[in-house]
Amino acid sequence: MATTEELKARFAPNEVQQLTTSRQLHTLRFSPCGKYLFGGGYDAAIHRWAVEGDEPFKELPPIEGHSGWVQPLVFAHEAGLLFTADSWGRISAWNYADEAPEAVWTVADSHDGWVRCLSLSPDGRQLASCGSDRMVRIWSAADGTKQTELSEHADDVYAVAYHPGGEFLVSGDLKGVVKKWEIAAGKSVGEFDASALYKHDRIQDVGGVWRLEFSRDGKTLACAGTAPFGGGTVQGVPSIMLFDFDSGQLEHAMKLGAVKDCYVHDLHLHADGFVIAVTSGTPGSGQLLLQVPGEDAPFFSSTKMSNCHSISLHPDGKRMAVSATNRGSNGNGRQLKDGEYAGNNSPIHIFELVS
Amino acid sequence: MSRSPLCKPWEHTLTRRQLLGAAAGTAGTIGLGGLGGLVQPAVAEEMKQKEKQVLFMWIDGGMSQLESWDPKPNTQFGGPFRAIPTSVPGVHISELLPRSAKQMHHLAIVRSMCTQDNSHSAGVGRIQRGDPKNRGVTYPYFGSAVAKLMGPCERKLPPYVWVKPGSSGFIHQDAGFLGPKYGALAFGDGKPPENLLRPDTVSEADDAARQKLREAANRRYGELRRPLANDANSYVYDMAQTLMRRSDLFDTSQYDPRDVQRYGTHDLGRHTLQGLKMLEAGVRFVKVNSYGWDTHGDNFNGHLSLMDKFDQAFSAVVEDLADRGMLDHVLVIAMSEFGRTPRINGHVGRDHWPEAWSIAMAGTGLKRGVVAGATNDKGTFVDTDEYDIGHMFHTWFRCLDIDAFKVEYDNGGQPLPIAHDDMQPITAVLA
Repeated sequence: MATTEELKARFAPNEVQQLTTSRQLHTLRFSPCGKYLFGGGYDAAIHRWAVEGDEPFKELPPIEGHSGWVQPLVFAHEAGLLFTADSWGRISAWNYADEAPEAVWTVADSHDGWVRCLSLSPDGRQLASCGSDRMVRIWSAADGTKQTELSEHADDVYAVAYHPGGEFLVSGDLKGVVKKWEIAAGKSVGEFDASALYKHDRIQDVGGVWRLEFSRDGKTLACAGTAPFGGGTVQGVPSIMLFDFDSGQLEHAMKLGAVKDCYVHDLHLHADGFVIAVTSGTPGSGQLLLQVPGEDAPFFSSTKMSNCHSISLHPDGKRMAVSATNRGSNGNGRQLKDGEYAGNNSPIHIFELVS
Repeated sequence: MSRSPLCKPWEHTLTRRQLLGAAAGTAGTIGLGGLGGLVQPAVAEEMKQKEKQVLFMWIDGGMSQLESWDPKPNTQFGGPFRAIPTSVPGVHISELLPRSAKQMHHLAIVRSMCTQDNSHSAGVGRIQRGDPKNRGVTYPYFGSAVAKLMGPCERKLPPYVWVKPGSSGFIHQDAGFLGPKYGALAFGDGKPPENLLRPDTVSEADDAARQKLREAANRRYGELRRPLANDANSYVYDMAQTLMRRSDLFDTSQYDPRDVQRYGTHDLGRHTLQGLKMLEAGVRFVKVNSYGWDTHGDNFNGHLSLMDKFDQAFSAVVEDLADRGMLDHVLVIAMSEFGRTPRINGHVGRDHWPEAWSIAMAGTGLKRGVVAGATNDKGTFVDTDEYDIGHMFHTWFRCLDIDAFKVEYDNGGQPLPIAHDDMQPITAVLA
């Protein structure tokens, strides 16, 4: 394991480009071929940029067809498919490299309402989804046929992830219950306790397991969200709980900021043993953090970006994209700009990771 | 009666003068319901007979209109949720209100609220006082206004009761210039004030003797002091006496478990069910409120959780009031101090938005299954006539058969309008 000084020397991000958007994005992902960057928007669109070498990213026409918010973006590399889902219950598969991608298949009512997360099985054959209807469902990645339904969660299911071995699936819910499913048997065979990511405040359920991510070797499961302080204007300490997958034991509880910093919105477990995370809290506060689990502090942090919501590592491992929020995104009452009531947007920051 | 040099424009109309002439010598109407000296006895008697009541559901912090009564799905600021049809063809509300959607045929929604204040500190009071013109006095909250203008119902239970999370007490501040007597009797978490109920160790006879002694001492004390504070003190004791006879109102273990489940076992559900029991028992004005709705951060998950509880309690009480025929004489109001911004901030929250928001109502004096006013396609601003809280006060008073253009307060000889002089009731929702 490299020292933090060595990691800092190798991976400290350096911003090289910024993309502007006219709308807000929830999720940002590079395609596995590295030629595209996709963003799932609050405007029901899938935004796209072409990536060619060191050239400035070129915006392409967005993919339309969803409703509400587009949140999960997942790729099947060999099949050349992008799977997307929205807050109205629709899942679609797209030939993402086409000039004007058409839906290969669509399930209009995959869930009753908000589809929070998708995960592709390691063999690329199954697509797992979860949503606000408390369900986890498994679909054929090839044609969208429903294969299995897992219904043991008592609350909204926020995150789902296949274990790299392919035998297990995990799903995490609002109350911090993370279930371990044996896929072949279609039943849960264990739980991880991430209830530290949940709080009942007055009549509000606050927090939840917002992201689940496995290390490449499958030994570590990361559960991310916030250690909530209170509801209403949600506040809490951005948190990542790292579990040993086999034993279910909590190995590290990473606290990544102050109460105002609130949620870990997205994370990546790097092959070199550190975590890349972005946080978003009180309007204006955002962090990009690179930290080794077990260390007291990140070896790199930046608070220059406002309310960071998503992070994606380019397949070349040398670049990284972070979606943030424009400055001055909040404010009470009528605030007009040139007579217009303007919305917010998500500037995208492109970093080089190699110094 | 002392006369104040202060006056208002409408005092100079013929109707106004006729009314004042007709109202002379009505100081004795307090016994009929606490009405001040400027109202006709016939009006007071009519109010008393109708026994109209109010359930006021206060959602403190700001419910988002876009995640409730005025959804704009698939628009820039519409958020992630869908709109769903209701029991009234053509009317859609947020999918976060599935149970209330089934009660829409009882409801009257105003979608074109446009009020003046975007801060809680000023907004809560300003809204609940009806935001009248500034006349140098603190106006009463709506509950205190109703307590003053209509008094207790026939059973003489306290006229203004507040079932709330947190602590109990007598919230005299709500009454403003009306005097502390018209404040809210607050039941923290639905529990009676401490030591309200007569302990078993004190016999009924002993208790009656103690009260008699207290009354005598209070009279002597009051003779030498300004009447308002002493009146309030006596009033609270008197009300406590009536409540002691209704200890069943606080015994939630006697509630039907099916009702408890329908309303919800959370604070808002329990308190709303208790509010219904208070109305059934004859309380004039019941306020039930919920805190924690100021969703500047994580608004959508917040509303997903909060709206479920509101929907459960609100729909259940509307359904029960309708089933029992009580919507004919109970006015139900559900509202906040403002709505929330269309713009979604970086914390995925919505900020304060008084510019275009919604209020839901049901019951006496109102049309059923109607929507008044509209916002533009993005939900940013009102597209029709804007309604301020003064319009709502006029509307609510009309529902309670109080003519806000005739009835007025007597503030030590200073006549004051009970609702904003320049505003009118919203006829589109009035039956």
